[in-house]
Amino acid sequence: MSEQAGPTQSRLLRGVHRTVTGLHPALESMLAALIGLLVGAALMYMWGFNPWKAYWALLRGAYGGSYEWASTLARATPLILTALTFSVCVRAGMFNIGAEGQMFMGAMAAICVALFKMPPGIHLIVGLLFALIAGAAWSIVPAVLKITRGVSEVISTIMFNWIARWLALYIAIFILVDPSRAEKTLTIPVSARFPILVRGTDFSYSFFLAIFAALVLYFVLWHTTMGYEVRAAGLNPTAARYGGIRNKRTMIVSFLLGGITAGLAGATVVMGMPPSYAAFGGGAFPELTNIGFDGMAVAMVGRNHPIGIIVASVLFGGLNAGGRVMQFYGSNPVPLEMVRIVMGAIVLAMSIPELIRLVPAIKSQGERLIATLRRHGRPASKEGSA
Amino acid sequence: MNANDAPANARAADGYFLRAENITKVYSDGTVALREATLEIHPREIVGLLGENGAGKTTLTKILSGLLPPTSGRVTSPKGVVRFASPREALDFGIGMVHQHFALVGTFTATENVALSHERPFARIRLDQARERLEGLMKESGLHVPLDVPVEKLAVGEQQRVEILKVLSRGVRLLILDEPTSVLTPLEVDELFLLLRRLRDAGTSIILITHKLKEVQSVTDRIVVLRRGELVGDVKTSTATTERLAQLMVGRAVEGESTAVELSAEQLPRAGARSKTGSSGESILHVADLVAKGSTGDVAVDGLSFDVHAGEIFGIAGVEGNGQSELVECLTGLRRAVSGIATIKGTDILGKDPREIYRLGVAHIPEDRWRLGLVLPFTLAENAILGVHRWKEFRGPLSFMRWGRINRHVRELMDRFEIQATGPNAPAKSLSGGNQQKLIVGRELAKNPAIVVASQPTRGLDIGAAKYIRDLLVEMRNNGRAILLVSADLDEVLALADRLAIMYEGRFMTECAPTDLNRQQIGMLMGGVERKEVV
Repeated sequence: MSEQAGPTQSRLLRGVHRTVTGLHPALESMLAALIGLLVGAALMYMWGFNPWKAYWALLRGAYGGSYEWASTLARATPLILTALTFSVCVRAGMFNIGAEGQMFMGAMAAICVALFKMPPGIHLIVGLLFALIAGAAWSIVPAVLKITRGVSEVISTIMFNWIARWLALYIAIFILVDPSRAEKTLTIPVSARFPILVRGTDFSYSFFLAIFAALVLYFVLWHTTMGYEVRAAGLNPTAARYGGIRNKRTMIVSFLLGGITAGLAGATVVMGMPPSYAAFGGGAFPELTNIGFDGMAVAMVGRNHPIGIIVASVLFGGLNAGGRVMQFYGSNPVPLEMVRIVMGAIVLAMSIPELIRLVPAIKSQGERLIATLRRHGRPASKEGSA
Repeated sequence: MNANDAPANARAADGYFLRAENITKVYSDGTVALREATLEIHPREIVGLLGENGAGKTTLTKILSGLLPPTSGRVTSPKGVVRFASPREALDFGIGMVHQHFALVGTFTATENVALSHERPFARIRLDQARERLEGLMKESGLHVPLDVPVEKLAVGEQQRVEILKVLSRGVRLLILDEPTSVLTPLEVDELFLLLRRLRDAGTSIILITHKLKEVQSVTDRIVVLRRGELVGDVKTSTATTERLAQLMVGRAVEGESTAVELSAEQLPRAGARSKTGSSGESILHVADLVAKGSTGDVAVDGLSFDVHAGEIFGIAGVEGNGQSELVECLTGLRRAVSGIATIKGTDILGKDPREIYRLGVAHIPEDRWRLGLVLPFTLAENAILGVHRWKEFRGPLSFMRWGRINRHVRELMDRFEIQATGPNAPAKSLSGGNQQKLIVGRELAKNPAIVVASQPTRGLDIGAAKYIRDLLVEMRNNGRAILLVSADLDEVLALADRLAIMYEGRFMTECAPTDLNRQQIGMLMGGVERKEVV
């Protein structure tokens, strides 16, 4: 029935459809980034800014030199880790939105190292252990709720984000507060800080921790039996059960792995970001807020693959770093918020291929609706005359 | 609304209400579901539509009710050709279908459900009017349901009545019921039949889809039999005997003739395949008084007891949905049994999970290869180790996967089981259905199992692939493995099984050698006629 409508027009549509849906995932991501930048350009133009100048400033601020690269990679570091949180759970078939909260708990746990003294290095490792245990512990509760009570992990992790945020605020203001400066927490002692990689920048060795975590997760997911089981359960839980895989176990494993990386993300911020080496409860955590959520965007653009995530984090880190330059760029000061608009547009554009894949379904639904309206939408006058 | 006047006009004195002429339906995967079927429906009659799985019953009624377009052929009424683009159009014309799975909103009351089915998009819902109309209809049809209770709180029989009321309230003249008795208790069945007769006497035509011989004989006026997409019989119920119907349903065999003759050469496994009866070895699988519930909570497996021995194929035949799936799921750890015993070589398997059961030497060829057997986005190699991925052979220290060995194993499987694919890294979804099934069968048989549980192992496959898989099962049997074969394909069970059971409503109607019965007798047993009445 529906196949007969408009041969030439539908052939064109089908061609577009096949082209877009047949794209390589990496190309899709690039296309989405491009669309995001175009949307940003259009908005800048509408508000009277010069998009060329603004993007030039952004580009130079993000990738223009070693200082800029250092700044970009420093911002990419926590994003890689929270993106891993999201992606490992997607691979297991779950939608874990809790990276933000787990990251907060990790940061608070890491600050605890300021309470005692230890030799350098070991102090750092102890702080990381604190952070990953705190992140994993915060992550395990939604997982257990899901397994035992069937609570949707989407709802529970969102709620846990809020609990974590306010709990962190309480801890930062009343427990770990710096007695001399009430707006911030205790400062991480030098012995527990990540060494700086490029002098004069905030680029520290924490970047290698993030890369290491991505590689470890890659090997876990594609080269261990545990990762195999996680991926099988994520793609087809019924077949996984048939294959002797215990789905509850894979859920716990993926949430634990995710919690660990999110906790580490919090630690890399407070232990690896000069000059403050602390969290600012007074300013409602400007340096921590949104790292968990931005990680989800990075994971989407990176196609939930550890290597893709590293690449995507360079883009998002660059937007963050370059945006700070863009807003002070002489005659053309585009507000920093524009960067967030571009990020949002990229995320929206990422869903376009999915949308296009739905075209056949949407089309048939539309045709059905039109047919119904045509039959019944006509006013009652016709029935009356009949 | 105009829903009521159209069918009134359509009902002409012409003698028939609806005629399906030379309907052929070919599905997009090439399956021919219906071949040149012609069927006439008259007012005031109950037509029974009888046939095995895949006979085309549902396809035919779906075409009549507008759910599917026919590939060729047409549906006519005395006023001319009718064409339905949707079930709604068919309803407007006066044809309504009650499906096996009800389309009711559980939290809504009967009134709300019926009102919902009437409303156009964006129209205001008038509950008071719907209620009034329903009460009138209930009085008229004698069909009573509680109107103000959420339907999920009603018994299944009551829900079915709500569904029937919903369709009747649209003023249908032809009511199609798909296996309506499968969910009902015997008392509810009696009530339903009483209602159907009353509706018929009030002028409604009714099509009853079923595979139960007794029911079709007790309530219908005319019985239409479909076999493999062809309409093979159209008989008055008063003149039809159970034997005749069974014969029409399952095949052409003359009474008394041995069933083995029925098998065509191409379907028959290698010569000398059938083992001599009595040569079977020790009992591998032992099942006693097994009871299990289906997904809806009804008893699906009702106290089964049997043994499967080494070196034999034990076949379970029967129309699908009579508890075979639940039985297999219980034996493979995918479903919890309610009570009973099941052991493999003496070890209890009930309550164990699949991994533990596989360790006892069980291979499971699942009935649904896409839902159960394969992870479609996974590669061939990843699918080839599903269930054996924890074997030492494939799993190194720190649980690292030994991809080298895995790929070697996959290549061996591809060679040995003739799986056509570009390589171990081809996605499983890129394989054809036959190759996917060979992959599953290969994976399971390569486990070197003591017992193979094969559920619908050749469903949807072409003749070549089906024969290949049947040969493999016979070969396994000849190598001394026990094989439990569950199949809705009667020919397959008859050709392969050394012993045979026929399952009906969770019980075995009989357990015998396949040569003990002829097709007609088997057909009657599949339709629920007791063994003592058959022989």
